[in-house]
Amino acid sequence: MEVLVELQQVSKSYEEKVAVHDLSLKIEAGSMFGLLGPNGAGKTSTIRMMIGITRPDSGAVTLFGKPFSAAALQRVGYLPEERGLYRKMKVIEQLVFLAELRGLGAAEATRRAKEWCEKLQIADVMNKKTEELSKGMQQKIQFISTLLHDPELIIMDEPFSGLDPVNAVLLQDTLLELKKQGNAVLFSTHRMDQVEKLCDSICLINKGAAVLSGGMREIKSRYERNHLVVQYEGSDGFLGHPAIESYKTYADRVEIRLKPHANAQDLLRTAAATSTITKFELAEPSLEEIFIETVGGRADA
Amino acid sequence: MHRNIFYVAKREYLERVRSRVFRITIILVPVGVGVLLVIGRAGNSKMDVLPNLAIVSNNPALAVQVKAALLEGDEASPQASPPTIIVDAPETADSIAQIDREVASHQIAGYLRLETQPGQIQPEATWVSTNSVDFIRKSQMQSAVRRGLMSQALLDHGASADRVHQLMKTVPLQTMQVKNGVVSKSDSERSFTGAYALIVVLYAAVLFYGINIARSVVEEKTSRIFEVLLSTVSSDDLMMGKLIGVGAASLTQMAVWAAILVIGAGSQLAVAYGIHGLSSLGVTTSELVFFAVFFLLGFYLYSALGAALGSTVGSEQDIQQFSLILISPLVVSVILLPYVMANPSSTASVVLSLIPPFTPIILYMRICAQTPPAWQIALGIALLAATVWAMIWLTARIYRIGVLMYGKRATLPEIVRWLRYS
Repeated sequence: MEVLVELQQVSKSYEEKVAVHDLSLKIEAGSMFGLLGPNGAGKTSTIRMMIGITRPDSGAVTLFGKPFSAAALQRVGYLPEERGLYRKMKVIEQLVFLAELRGLGAAEATRRAKEWCEKLQIADVMNKKTEELSKGMQQKIQFISTLLHDPELIIMDEPFSGLDPVNAVLLQDTLLELKKQGNAVLFSTHRMDQVEKLCDSICLINKGAAVLSGGMREIKSRYERNHLVVQYEGSDGFLGHPAIESYKTYADRVEIRLKPHANAQDLLRTAAATSTITKFELAEPSLEEIFIETVGGRADA
Repeated sequence: MHRNIFYVAKREYLERVRSRVFRITIILVPVGVGVLLVIGRAGNSKMDVLPNLAIVSNNPALAVQVKAALLEGDEASPQASPPTIIVDAPETADSIAQIDREVASHQIAGYLRLETQPGQIQPEATWVSTNSVDFIRKSQMQSAVRRGLMSQALLDHGASADRVHQLMKTVPLQTMQVKNGVVSKSDSERSFTGAYALIVVLYAAVLFYGINIARSVVEEKTSRIFEVLLSTVSSDDLMMGKLIGVGAASLTQMAVWAAILVIGAGSQLAVAYGIHGLSSLGVTTSELVFFAVFFLLGFYLYSALGAALGSTVGSEQDIQQFSLILISPLVVSVILLPYVMANPSSTASVVLSLIPPFTPIILYMRICAQTPPAWQIALGIALLAATVWAMIWLTARIYRIGVLMYGKRATLPEIVRWLRYS
């Protein structure tokens, strides 16, 4: 697979704070990549170096196989966490303007903008000013402006923050479609649960440094299936079983973390003896759990 | 990538030209200026016009001379229809009562009472009218009485009436000016009209567009669109496009106003107020060319300063505070104008005219007052252009590091530090 972005041992410091330290990562075409970590871990700083808003203090950034150049930015679609639109501009003019900056002709930009607006069901507001629109509609326009020039690399910083559920699903489906067409998508978020099922590979960062990176399947396989979800009726006496390291009780279920190499089948037999088991699922750990386990108590989240 | 400058400029231009403020000012400002000019002219001429009045005196010979002096007035601007001046001399109680009634009913503006006492040279003079104070009329009266007295004295000494008339006339004074070593006729009042016009236009443009551009930069920051922009456009292209677009909008406005001025100055209405085309306002072609050069450079310098200001502040309120700093060099220039006008080649004037923020106004004023050496003009323009370029370069950097500074206003040392990190 073609590598679209590569960071090699990149570092960046501001004032006394180290934002990114010795970070390396690769994003391939046709994949979804998760840049994950708590707030302040250095995700946005990393992205800004990728697209040349800031320059790394040391290390190298390669975009589309070449050292960073401004021309390469026409092949990138970037949706920043802090995103806005010109309030006084009409939707269609705004979309065409942003597409022109990314190298599209006015006629082609207009055609595509109309197509996208129809697809996302906002064709009726194309001639309205942005300030007259609801927040949900503005979010749709921001997606369109990021994707209008059909970028090979799509970078989304906290894309789901502040998104209503309808738009979140819409965005997710759109991005999956684009991935199928061979585009690469980079998600940067602290909400690991939101992108877990989407990402092919990830880089977990904490305090500016990578703590875990690689393919999602490969990473998950490194961790034992020691996460147990049990739904039951009756006695909770089985929670004293020696295989259990810790557990959390929720309204309709209990989530259990098993001791290393514990025998889950023995626990099931014990539980079934005293209660009615409606669900007994041995799940792989979530990214969040992997993250917490990896960084221990050191996370700033 | 420089196509992006064009797209940014186009957007800025259209946004301004389509705005309501633009459409309103483009019509209202010329109308307002026209109205002010007409009112000013009308007010001025009204001041000079002598009203109908009466002279009441116990000395008929003096009364006649004073009437003649009043009617003669200022030969430079003869009155179209001379006022009626009634002479009541020697007066009686009845005739004074009659004149009092005429004043009360506004048939005449007032009367001048001159009472000569035996043995006294100066008469006792009183101006009686319904207006409480009227300084211009007061000096007019005083001068007329003085000239009347002198004429009377000359006549008493046997001078002929014609000789007295010649003696009392105002002597015309010609003013000449040394320009480029050549003595030429100058019109000391007119030659500064162009300079003042530039100052007014530059001041207004800076105030409006300098603040306008600062506001648009802040809007891009607060609406967070600028991080999207910077991910495709370099901040240099963005700033350059912004300044070109805003500049084009202001030039459009100027062009419309200039067209209105040229058409207006040559119109019948203007002729009625004593203006016969642009040249009668004292504007020469070379002054117009320099006007364009200094307007553009001055405009870009202050717009770039405005953009830099917008890049460093976090909110629109902050702009208001800093706008004073923005216009202070202009204010200082205006304060220094009388000095520069009087001493266009003094060392202080030369140095001032070469300091970029002062150059547009001070150097232009020197050019209008007394053409300075070519090298000084060239150096002034070169320094100004270099400053504009440096300002845009610096502003682009400040704008870019603005991404890293959320909301807060940056201090100067902070900006310098951030400049290193970006």
